[in-house]
Amino acid sequence: MSYAYLFKYIIIGDTGVGKSCLLLQFTDKRFQPVHDLTIGVEFGARMITIENKPIKLQIWDTAGQESFRSITRSYYRGAAGALLVYDITRRETFNHLASWLEDARQHANANMTVMLIGNKCDLSHRRAVSTEEGEQFAKEHGLIFMEASAKTAQNVEEAFISTAEKIYKKIQDGVIDISNESYGIKIGHETHTTSSGGRDGTSSQAGSCCS
Amino acid sequence: MEKRRVIDDYEPGPVPPQKPLDRFGFIKQDASSTPEGLAKSRLIVEYEREAIRVRKWRKMIGVGGNDWKHYARRKPHVVKRRIRKGIPDCLRGLVWQLISGSRDLLLLNPGVYEQLVIYETSASELDIIRDISRTFPSHVFFQQRHGPGQRSLYNVLKAYSVFDRDVGYVQGMGFLAGLLLLYMSEEDAFWLLVALLKGAIHAPMEGLYQGVKIVFKVGLALLKYCHNDLIKLSFEKLVHALRNFPEDAMDPDTLLPMAFSIKVSRSLAESKNEYEKQNGKLMKSTELMEVHKQLH
Repeated sequence: MSYAYLFKYIIIGDTGVGKSCLLLQFTDKRFQPVHDLTIGVEFGARMITIENKPIKLQIWDTAGQESFRSITRSYYRGAAGALLVYDITRRETFNHLASWLEDARQHANANMTVMLIGNKCDLSHRRAVSTEEGEQFAKEHGLIFMEASAKTAQNVEEAFISTAEKIYKKIQDGVIDISNESYGIKIGHETHTTSSGGRDGTSSQAGSCCS
Repeated sequence: MEKRRVIDDYEPGPVPPQKPLDRFGFIKQDASSTPEGLAKSRLIVEYEREAIRVRKWRKMIGVGGNDWKHYARRKPHVVKRRIRKGIPDCLRGLVWQLISGSRDLLLLNPGVYEQLVIYETSASELDIIRDISRTFPSHVFFQQRHGPGQRSLYNVLKAYSVFDRDVGYVQGMGFLAGLLLLYMSEEDAFWLLVALLKGAIHAPMEGLYQGVKIVFKVGLALLKYCHNDLIKLSFEKLVHALRNFPEDAMDPDTLLPMAFSIKVSRSLAESKNEYEKQNGKLMKSTELMEVHKQLH
């Protein structure tokens, strides 16, 4: 399928906060209570539309455990957006946010858009981090913030899409240089063919491949 | 879904309904696509061949593995050849313990496993618990919440995290321990995990030990076998295809001879040359683009 832009995302955060479930809810619109734990990295993709432009999100989902940091760090490179996830029922996953941001600062480009997600907001009876604390942390560090639930799908769509909108705005404002691939953005081959239909990317033969 | 909510968190879950399993006990995702007749005749041939192998292996290792060391020392080439042909499934549990030397570790450390499981505490206990239900959730043995599979898996992982405190518990160990538990008791699985992770490579393993190279060889053979199909795929489809190789590619009798024939070191050097050559080309094309830009 053709797209105007391709944005590369990375999902980070402590183990067990629901990173893979958020991805699955976004790409497949389903919640899987039992699934294999993530070793190394996983991958997902979906098309969205912003201002009538088809945009492809290419999402890398990482393992949360400390031991895998050396592997996951290499995935920050060339990411346009990051979803930083914590679990509102486990305080320690919130306390570790600063160290995740530190990792991002060191390994990602400075213009990466970061969305902070307090996941599992369906479990409000077990809440250990208040919404205000989440908002406060996001404000202090210049992040977008949302509480979401991969189980009920609340705010999942919104989280991925508003991150993309923010990135899109950065492109429009010229903050991001799209010719530089380290910003995590690729330009599609057939930007204006959405109405013509019947054609897909395979017919194009412009330089860069694999997308 | 309705039923699940009623069940207390700490009670063993319900016995899951009978679903078709593959021969290793994993729930089949889709009905087998191989035609009935073909599968049957292949099965009979395989069954007979397996029976012959089992007989040879039993003779080689002796009762309870008593003759193993002697045989491996006297005829290492025969052992190697037979391992490469495949250790019969029913003997794997025992043979893995013999080859790795974990059987010796077990005999040298009586009572240690029990001590680790019952009396010691580990800093990783919560981390392990969080991952138990995420390890082989589609396997019949590990599926049941707090069932025997999950309990054994927890015990082995906790014991290991105490035994090797520097490493503790690392995600992924569960898949290794879980596989071992399908073939042997908890205590045997624990010592085999120790032998594998701490490298207790005893004399019998010498000459047989292939190291990490064999992992790459099998991987490369898979890529080589499917090369023509893979090369046509888009990036997303490729990621999917790399995790779901077709059944014919996974046939050990085709794949392994191919894997052993690959000379990793030489291929690496060749790949390096090729990569540099291509990268050189890429560099040139970007340079061209720069020139192009400057002209406009």
